[in-house]
Amino acid sequence: MAKKITIFTTNTCTYCVQVKRWLAAKGHAWEEINLDEHPERQAEALEVSGALTVPVVVITKHDDSQEVVVGYNLAKLAPAVA
Amino acid sequence: MSDTETPQTPVHDVIMIGAGPAALSAAVYTTREDIDTLLFERGAVGGLAAVTDWVDNYPGFPDGLQGLELAENLRKQAERFGAVIELGEVSKITDEGAYKRLETTEGDMLARAVLIATGSDYKKIGVPGEKEFYARGVHYCATCDGAFYRDKRIVVVGGGNSAVQEAMFLTRFASHIDLLVRGEKFRASEILQHDLEKFKDKITVHFNTATDEIVGEEGKVVKVIGTDKTTGNKVEVPTDGVFVFVGLIPNTQFLAETAIELDEVGFVKTDTHLQTAMPGVFAAGDVRSGATMQIATATGEGASAALYMREYLNDHPVEDAAIEAKKTY
Repeated sequence: MAKKITIFTTNTCTYCVQVKRWLAAKGHAWEEINLDEHPERQAEALEVSGALTVPVVVITKHDDSQEVVVGYNLAKLAPAVA
Repeated sequence: MSDTETPQTPVHDVIMIGAGPAALSAAVYTTREDIDTLLFERGAVGGLAAVTDWVDNYPGFPDGLQGLELAENLRKQAERFGAVIELGEVSKITDEGAYKRLETTEGDMLARAVLIATGSDYKKIGVPGEKEFYARGVHYCATCDGAFYRDKRIVVVGGGNSAVQEAMFLTRFASHIDLLVRGEKFRASEILQHDLEKFKDKITVHFNTATDEIVGEEGKVVKVIGTDKTTGNKVEVPTDGVFVFVGLIPNTQFLAETAIELDEVGFVKTDTHLQTAMPGVFAAGDVRSGATMQIATATGEGASAALYMREYLNDHPVEDAAIEAKKTY
């Protein structure tokens, strides 16, 4: 299991809802950063993902290494949080 | 019996590929008939409807509603009657007679009948810069990515319902929007064109304007180069980002090597009972050749497909022993 999961989201992003639903179904907890409520953190999302999109999921492993999954991509997300 | 059979190969009466409005509506009907139904979705439950900002033309909602809300309502209704939605992707369908074998990211599955309801995705325009700046200045989902363009300039490409609808949605973020329409008039509905009038201080419409190139500097989109088709002159539109809504392409790549017949564009051909060239496999919604690409018609086709699948299942009974053999082999 991942040590920490952080998700950058917006209010209108359907794929963010899907990612959170999938993580919940798999028993994962996460911290959510809503960019509509915290627009000052958009630059942070862009820096970690290299993309102007959400969802961005940042998975911190137990060795403190990080993996970033951009968009709704279960093929990458599933192994990243395993 | 196949050599690749495993003791865990799941067997269902119906597997629906996709969980957009067509499949969710079909699932309401099949599950209410106690037909064991699994939906397989690779993207967003609710499909393109779920990522649409606002739906104004779905019957029964006089004031319109958010696309996500409509999608959630459809999902809840299908699940209330017992539909199961799994997240994953189907890569192949093979006809094994009484059963269809689906190769999926979650392993093989068997179904007596299958509904293809994979819908469609937004088409690319295929110009220089589009691929290079994908998700870094070029976007296909306003509700996902619009928030990154607060107080910035945006170009929206397209002249249909989606382009007009999403341009209006993006005004909540952008300082100004240039709407580039290839044709001499909109393909969008009259009511949307009327609504667009309310945004004329924020949205500038450029008819007869082809989009030729998306240009960036230092990793950022800075302008779109197009052609004024009435004069042949090049035009340049400064912008921070481009949102593309120029039509739809069917999600049928996984059917390329199957017996299921596609039309010249790639949509699934069906007969009058919505059955494809593979017996027991049906199609409904945006993915079907001849579909009218509306949420209302997708739900209607889903309901029709469910009734035709019920008829097919009744006409093609499978002995319980055969089902057990499949489950335990």
